Amino acid sequence: MTTFNRWAFALTLPAVLTTLALYVAPITQVLTLSVTDPRPGLGNYEGLMTSNAVAKVAATTLNVSLLTTIFTIAGAYAIAFGLVHMRVGPRRLAMFLVLVPFWVSVLVRAFSWITILRREGVLNSALSSLGLISEPLNLVYNRIGVVIGMVHYMLPFAVLLIFANLSGIDRRIMQAARSLGARPATIFWRIWLPLSVPGLAVASVFVFIYSLGFLITPALLGAGRTVMIAEFISVQMKTLRWGVATALSVLLLLLVALSVLALMRRPALRAAFEGRPDP
Amino acid sequence: MKRGSAGHYLSRGLTWLLLAFLFLPILVVIPVAFTDQDFLSLPQHGLSLKHFVAIGDWSAGWLPSILTSIAVGVLASAAATTLGAAYAVGAWSISGWWPSLTRVMILSPLIVPPIVYAVGIFKLWARFHLLDTFLGVAVVHVVLCLPFVILAMGSTLSNLDPRLVQAARSLGARPATVFLRVIAPNILPGIIASALFAFVTSWDEITVTLFITSRAMVTLPRRIWTSIADSVDPALAAVATLMLVVTIAILVVQACLPHRKPDPSP
Repeated sequence: MTTFNRWAFALTLPAVLTTLALYVAPITQVLTLSVTDPRPGLGNYEGLMTSNAVAKVAATTLNVSLLTTIFTIAGAYAIAFGLVHMRVGPRRLAMFLVLVPFWVSVLVRAFSWITILRREGVLNSALSSLGLISEPLNLVYNRIGVVIGMVHYMLPFAVLLIFANLSGIDRRIMQAARSLGARPATIFWRIWLPLSVPGLAVASVFVFIYSLGFLITPALLGAGRTVMIAEFISVQMKTLRWGVATALSVLLLLLVALSVLALMRRPALRAAFEGRPDP
Repeated sequence: MKRGSAGHYLSRGLTWLLLAFLFLPILVVIPVAFTDQDFLSLPQHGLSLKHFVAIGDWSAGWLPSILTSIAVGVLASAAATTLGAAYAVGAWSISGWWPSLTRVMILSPLIVPPIVYAVGIFKLWARFHLLDTFLGVAVVHVVLCLPFVILAMGSTLSNLDPRLVQAARSLGARPATVFLRVIAPNILPGIIASALFAFVTSWDEITVTLFITSRAMVTLPRRIWTSIADSVDPALAAVATLMLVVTIAILVVQACLPHRKPDPSP
């Protein structure tokens, strides 16, 4: 090793040690606690398997996460597809409309949705003053509210991921197809869509794993009625049931790891994580 | 899709409709912030600034929380940027398994659900008596900001020409000189971007902060959380409006700044 390389190696150490001590170690302790607290063994996991409450929370979590992923990816694809076809001016405006919600705090966005969706909220008042409804609709503090809030939270993120993929597609392929007489619908179904699959896959997995572990939006817009796994873990923590809390955390971690492994087979994501340029 | 075709207009209409769904709901906090009522509602008889005035009242708690969040953010951003920039430069200069492995490790907070980290760090901080302390929150924010610094630094460094370093070394520059006089000035824009990115990450962090704070350390997101969960105070809408205005202002300024052209060489 040359002196220069030793210096470079030394530069990487503080960040690595910080992460090891303050990130990896606490998470390892979560794994350990799940098989040692309150007593050694797999008792916590057996408890999870037989608990009705856990089964309900798991079903809600998967259901909400899948719904969120489907709506988010469909919407994000429509926006990203529109973006790549826009001229520079409108695209700038459209990008601005995507980036503002991207940067606005998740709490502010949840608060906005509560203001709009609650029984005395903006939407219900508007609908009833128009005479469209006689009774206010229950749009928040239930599953509908949680899915609306989560889709709204995930959309900008998914748009940016899919847009990056779509802008990388070689547009000469579409020109060639058009000059050979392909109709617009054919060009979309046979060229755009198949070439979008890598971007859609990466975005779907990211949205899905973020949804699985999401706490803030489900907690605020579900208000204890639609309980997802992260909120359930937080309740276990507050009641000091560490064994259950840590075992659930491990379960969540496993779900996320499996999703990422499925995605890691994609070269684009592996490249992003290892810091190499996209092949 | 061909311009002028029905499909073209349909897809364009759908795009703008979805963009409206994305953007318009956030604006609802603005009229609510100006309500003349004392509960969460649209203005009834006129506009009022009283809820903005209420933010400035020290005892209402908003101002101390804003200052706390700024202090935590500045400290966490400075530390995370220093650690992250040093790491990124070091990892850029060497190749092999070490940078690949450690990079995945440092980026893992982007993938691992924050609630899992919250459980772990709560246990650790309980042992060190760092729960609900300034230091405890700041240190956690450093760890959570690091991945963003490394991502931002990565894109800057990928534009840095390795021949610059080779040239400096072949001319006899010592390692310290190479890092401080050759590499650092060239990646300064990336360092500034990382610091801003890190500050915003800390400023917004709620999930982990929620578990390691209670009464003594109330960051702004923590106060907003409590306020949403148990009250209908329109001052919250005023705070949200201010945050929204700042976000929009920064994005507009950034859009108006001249963009550096990307390096034409591959």
